Amino acid sequence: MKKMEQVHCPGDQHGEGNLVPDPELSSWEALPVLPDHQTQGVELVWAYAIPVLDKKKTSRLVKEVSAIYPLVGQGHLKRVRACPDKTSPHALEILLCLASQGGDTVEGVRPLSELLPSGQIDWSDLGEPYLVHVPAHPPFTRAQFEEAKLHWPTVFHENKHISNALQGLLFSKEDKAKMQIYMEKAIHTARQGAERGMKAVGAVVVDPATEVVLAVGHDCSNASNPLLHATMVCIDLIAQRQGRGAYSFNAYPACTISPSGDRAIPLPAKSIQPGVVRKYESRQDGLPYICTGYDLYVTSEPCVMCAMALVHSRIQRVFYGASSPDGALGTRYKIHSKEDLNHHFEVFRGILGTECCSLDQKKQGQQCVSSQL
Amino acid sequence: MEAPTGTEEEEEERGNGFSVSAEERDRWIDRAMHMAQEALESGEVPVGCLMVYNNQMVGMGRNEVNETKNATRHAEMVAIDQVLNWCLRRSKNPAEVFQRTVLYVTVEPCIMCAAALRIMRIPLVVYGCQNERFGGCGSVLNISSDDLPNTGTAFQCIPGHRAKEAVEMLKTFYKQENPNAPQSKVRKLNGHKR
Ligand SMILES: [Zn+2]
Ligand SMILES: [Zn+2]
Repeated sequence: MKKMEQVHCPGDQHGEGNLVPDPELSSWEALPVLPDHQTQGVELVWAYAIPVLDKKKTSRLVKEVSAIYPLVGQGHLKRVRACPDKTSPHALEILLCLASQGGDTVEGVRPLSELLPSGQIDWSDLGEPYLVHVPAHPPFTRAQFEEAKLHWPTVFHENKHISNALQGLLFSKEDKAKMQIYMEKAIHTARQGAERGMKAVGAVVVDPATEVVLAVGHDCSNASNPLLHATMVCIDLIAQRQGRGAYSFNAYPACTISPSGDRAIPLPAKSIQPGVVRKYESRQDGLPYICTGYDLYVTSEPCVMCAMALVHSRIQRVFYGASSPDGALGTRYKIHSKEDLNHHFEVFRGILGTECCSLDQKKQGQQCVSSQL
Repeated sequence: MEAPTGTEEEEEERGNGFSVSAEERDRWIDRAMHMAQEALESGEVPVGCLMVYNNQMVGMGRNEVNETKNATRHAEMVAIDQVLNWCLRRSKNPAEVFQRTVLYVTVEPCIMCAAALRIMRIPLVVYGCQNERFGGCGSVLNISSDDLPNTGTAFQCIPGHRAKEAVEMLKTFYKQENPNAPQSKVRKLNGHKR
């Protein structure tokens, strides 16, 4: 399980609640909210290893064993390792295959005659098989790699994107300046909503390729429509921009859309995330699927309804300021990276975290809750 | 799954202190099935739902995603808006109405709709088949019953009512949605028809 820890807003620690954004951009970090398997400890599974009695025969044995047990899906595991027990009479051992998994327990060790039926391989150069723990998945981060190789030699292809994200290297100063502008807009909108008695949550939808702010909305939920959270408002505003939509926000002048241009010809990518190829998922009428390729900036972490609405809408990335107690993009769930779902997106938290936390607190009179990575 | 016959008292099922008789359940889920069948015949995702308050249908819905270009317009969300309108027209307090409203839907609500139903504080959902891809009442996540103190209230589910029929309709629909299949006329109309 993930360790959860309650932390105070950065601003609370100084006890001042200073709302002036720091022009040096040093007061906030965009923290990636990664799927559990990219951040957690290494998951281990049982496998069979066999001692090599005659070191000179190793390469032939590896060839023969690999032909029988190709270890499909375990490409991260090396076939041979030096025996960790220095007093052992043999120097090397070969990984044969995964043991049949029955939860944490495995049935008794199967003999060589069963694992490698006679005729397939010459047993005389092999010792008796035994069970070892091996990493179930390829390591994503250097920390996971360091842990994985303690159990069995592991191949590591560093995922630059993830390690850059973890080291806070994903965004340049220029990127952060843009992100701050978008989030400031969301905060401003949240305040406009709050002035009309709404919950102080604001959101902005941006097309990162053109840097155009497409929609700006605040929470419009009240007794006559409790579901109009800021994210839901923005999703409908995007639909309105594409000529449809389900609601009227005439009563809320702060909820606006930019005029719709020709979306069929996107401008050359100026994406703030290098190396990402923009692809539009086409609808039947040739338009991109609702929010494909767009970024959402929202002052507080979306709830389950809003998070799943973003999956349905095919958002590309979500940036939020403050975590929410029942939040579904990091705190209680990570709906954006849930393996069973058909669309995944990237999430970063902490953008103008202090300012967004203060918005929340004003309304709820409670401390911000944040989950530690 | 067909419930064995018996007296109505024996057949009552309860959800958050709220109960419906077997006769009521069968009658309303039958109407929801008819709606799903109609949706299928007009080329829409075959999900039908209705909301019942005081033995009266106060809202119904079917998927309006294509029509509105808003991917959140699922049958349940449409029905919730209808109930809110019903309340507005009759000057009823929505909170009081929703707390005594039962949702009948042919397919398990998705994660988004399950959260919306919690926020509305609907006590009981009677549904047909599981929603393997998006289900929020156990299939993918357990939003209906998880401990979420800031997201409305948990609700009770009575699953499995005419599940087979509901699954068959979905299968038929997704067969014609297969992108490799030649585009049928029905499919092309999809975006413009209700
Ligand atoms: Zn929400
Ligand atoms: Zn739904």
